[in-house]
Amino acid sequence: MKGIVFTEFLEMVEASFGLETTDNMIVNSNVPSEGIYTSVGTYDFNEMVSLITCLSEEVKIPANDLIYTFGLYLFGSLGKAHPEVIQSYNSPLALLYSIEDHIHVHVQKLYPEAELPTFKILEKTDTSISMVYSSSRGLYRLAHGLIEKCFEHFNGSATIAYELLKEDGTEVKFDVTQNG
Amino acid sequence: MLPKMDSGKEVLLLKKALDRQKKARAQAEKILEEKAKELYDVTHHLKESNARLEALLSEKTSELDGVFVNIVDPYVVMDLKFNIIKMNASAKEFLGYDSEKEAINLSTIVHPEYMEYTAESIQSLMEVGVLKNYQAKIIIKDKTEKYIQINSSLIYDKNRKPIAAQGIIRDITQETEIKHLLAEQKKELDIIVENSPLGIVLTVNNKIVKSNRTFKTLIGYSDFELKKLKLDDISSPEDIEKSKELINQMNTGELDQFSIIKKYTRKDNGILWAKTSVNAFKNSKGKVEYKVVMIEDITKELEAEEQLKESENRLATLISNLQTGVLLEDENRKISLTNKRFCSMFNISASPQQLNGVDCSDAAEQNKIFFKNPEAFVTRIGEILKERKLVSSDELEMIDGRILERDYIPIFNNKIYKGHLWTYQDITVRKNFRKNLFAEKEKYSSIIANMNLGLLEVDTNDTIQMANQSFCKMSGFSQDELLGTKAREILRVRELDLIEKQDRIRSKGDSDSYEVKVLNKSGEKKHWLISGAPRYDEGGILIGSIGIHLDITTQKKLEVQKGLLLKELENSNKGLQEYAHIVSHDLKSPLRSISALATWLYEDYKDVLDENGVTQLGLMQEKVEAMDNLIVGILNYSTVSSDTIQNTKVDVNMVIKEITDIIFIPDHVEVKIVKKLPTIFADKIKVHQVFQNFMSNAVVHIENEIGLVNIDYIETKTHWQFSIEDNGVGIPKEYHEKIFKIFQSVGNKERSTGIGLSIVKKIIDLYEGEVWLESTPGEGTTFYFTIKK
Repeated sequence: MKGIVFTEFLEMVEASFGLETTDNMIVNSNVPSEGIYTSVGTYDFNEMVSLITCLSEEVKIPANDLIYTFGLYLFGSLGKAHPEVIQSYNSPLALLYSIEDHIHVHVQKLYPEAELPTFKILEKTDTSISMVYSSSRGLYRLAHGLIEKCFEHFNGSATIAYELLKEDGTEVKFDVTQNG
Repeated sequence: MLPKMDSGKEVLLLKKALDRQKKARAQAEKILEEKAKELYDVTHHLKESNARLEALLSEKTSELDGVFVNIVDPYVVMDLKFNIIKMNASAKEFLGYDSEKEAINLSTIVHPEYMEYTAESIQSLMEVGVLKNYQAKIIIKDKTEKYIQINSSLIYDKNRKPIAAQGIIRDITQETEIKHLLAEQKKELDIIVENSPLGIVLTVNNKIVKSNRTFKTLIGYSDFELKKLKLDDISSPEDIEKSKELINQMNTGELDQFSIIKKYTRKDNGILWAKTSVNAFKNSKGKVEYKVVMIEDITKELEAEEQLKESENRLATLISNLQTGVLLEDENRKISLTNKRFCSMFNISASPQQLNGVDCSDAAEQNKIFFKNPEAFVTRIGEILKERKLVSSDELEMIDGRILERDYIPIFNNKIYKGHLWTYQDITVRKNFRKNLFAEKEKYSSIIANMNLGLLEVDTNDTIQMANQSFCKMSGFSQDELLGTKAREILRVRELDLIEKQDRIRSKGDSDSYEVKVLNKSGEKKHWLISGAPRYDEGGILIGSIGIHLDITTQKKLEVQKGLLLKELENSNKGLQEYAHIVSHDLKSPLRSISALATWLYEDYKDVLDENGVTQLGLMQEKVEAMDNLIVGILNYSTVSSDTIQNTKVDVNMVIKEITDIIFIPDHVEVKIVKKLPTIFADKIKVHQVFQNFMSNAVVHIENEIGLVNIDYIETKTHWQFSIEDNGVGIPKEYHEKIFKIFQSVGNKERSTGIGLSIVKKIIDLYEGEVWLESTPGEGTTFYFTIKK
């Protein structure tokens, strides 16, 4: 998993729960990297799983909700890191529609070893999009948060419904309908 | 909210976090260092590869150089100013130049005729980079001219800038010469084809690919039109099936060539009869690739043939219907031709066609029984056949009475005997005709001799040639006295002028009749009626005239007597008329005296006379008046005659108007003209008389309360028919004829003299008309009369 995800996760935990919780999470998770991450590096996904599990126990918040909150946070971080990507779209639906064909293609250029989820578009209208998230990571809630924040970024909102096509969350169908 | 921490712990935590950040930086730097090393390695590897590739390239280039040097065809590299940089051995040999020994500029060896084309080609080479199939004539070192073909391409430096051009030269001199030769031959062939009197067409799958001028002229289509046509399109439909069959045989390889006679439809819809020969040309696989069709216009030949056939047919028909029996035998005495007439002459039941080929050697022997003199017949035929000389008009008498005339015509072709022709003609009628003619003449001669009319033939000088018995009797002269004398002199004709005039008329070929007075032998005057006609000889030249004479002396005498009688009658008629006039006038004056005396008697003694006396005086007056009317009527009647008629145009409407003004019409009677009456051509007074008679009769005899008299007419082709209809008392049937006779009247009206209608009848008779009536007693009477137009 890309280092930026870990660095941003730690940033969010620090900002939300303070240094102590962050430190406890790192210590308790006993991850091989000892919580040392650089955005240009690449780390084992299991470290992320351990970190989130420990945080969930520490702060008594379900792990999925934490992942969702991280999604909301991550959109802003990514936007800051690569503003030109978001600027090239004029609507949240257009952006969502282009994840697979445009954004992920650029990501692959910078990080050829990146393991990216896929978004298969089932249906798209002017006001809605229906797609299937598919990744061995099962981080569909992260996607949920990112989608929601995307609408916020364009000063809009959306009703986002999801349905687990597989129980472990490795395949999830999203139905996104733009409000207003 | 974040939980509160003491500052000691916070510093500890911050230190830990800072430591993590430092380690992370070091980690990041390490990663970047690794990436830099990786990049260096890749670059180094690339350089190595590049060097290897360049070496490989130069090796290949020199290898290629070797190829070009050793290439069989001449190979030349030149700079962009046409100077040869490099050339292979083959090029040196071909051009005769060696670039290593002397500088050669290629532009100098191009033949002047090809300079412009060369310049254009170089231009194209510079633009496109390659030049294919440049063909030109060059002059090589030994001054001979060569045709070459060059395929060329540009050579570039590293910056893709063209620096030279390389090319492979092919010597195509021989090829070109062959091509020229071929073109020449093709041209010659084309001339032959174009000027061929045969139409020549090249077809592929029935489509016309090429055709020569003769064909176009024959068929009338242009090249352009023909391109769109199939041979079937211009073939007459009835021939297509047949040609298709032949074409199929050709396509399957059964036939290589065939020729048929077929019809083509010209562009102007005319018919072209043509002998068509088709030749198939096969490709190497034996499949028919194209066909050459040669078309010979035989329209004229066919027409001539048709005409020949027709004339043969006509001739055959002529012979078969000839009134002459024909028998043509060949040199072996076999029948070549006979006709119907021949068959019927000799009672042969077979048809002329069936007789063809029959041997005639025995014919004479077999047929001799038909002839009166059979042995002579056989002998004569033997003679003729032996002689083989023309024989004409042999007469043969047959046992059935017919007489045949036979001709024998031997036929020689280049002095070689080829047979002979017998012709037979039935001359029975011709023979008999003379006999008949003689009999006819006898018959007419006896009629002429015995008829009552005098017949006289004279020549153009009036000299008597012949006179029959009757003429001798009429004239009192004997035949001997008459013959040789001049007719008008011996008969002492008075009217010489008339005779001469008649002679002139007759000389023009006209027949005529006229009367003359002659004196017979004993000097008695006779009246003759002569009918004359000109006489001609066989050549149609006038040789005199023939006259038939009838003695009309008796009739003449009677005619004179009749004229006298008529004159007498006329005189006595006139006398009678004058008499009637005088008598009536003389009768009228005593009547007038009686009337005057009676009047006076009445006036002087009316006081002394009793009633009876007055009545008797009145009656006396009436009787006198009736007597007067009767006399006037007789006078009128006697004056009606054709002599006194003066015809003019008479408007009948006016006549009726005048009559209605004059006559007494009772108040209850109306006279009506049904439709406008015509204007006729007649004597007005007579017309007046007729209408007045009818009308006054009509108006007085009406006892009905309302009396009607209708006057009408109809027009027929020849007459005007008038009608006067009344609704009076009517006339009983028995009087219908009587009333038109003089002194007859119906009833006893004192005023009617019974003379009126007889005058009417007399007038109508004058106008060749008729008068009649239709009447029903008690209902009315209609009088009709007609007047000739």
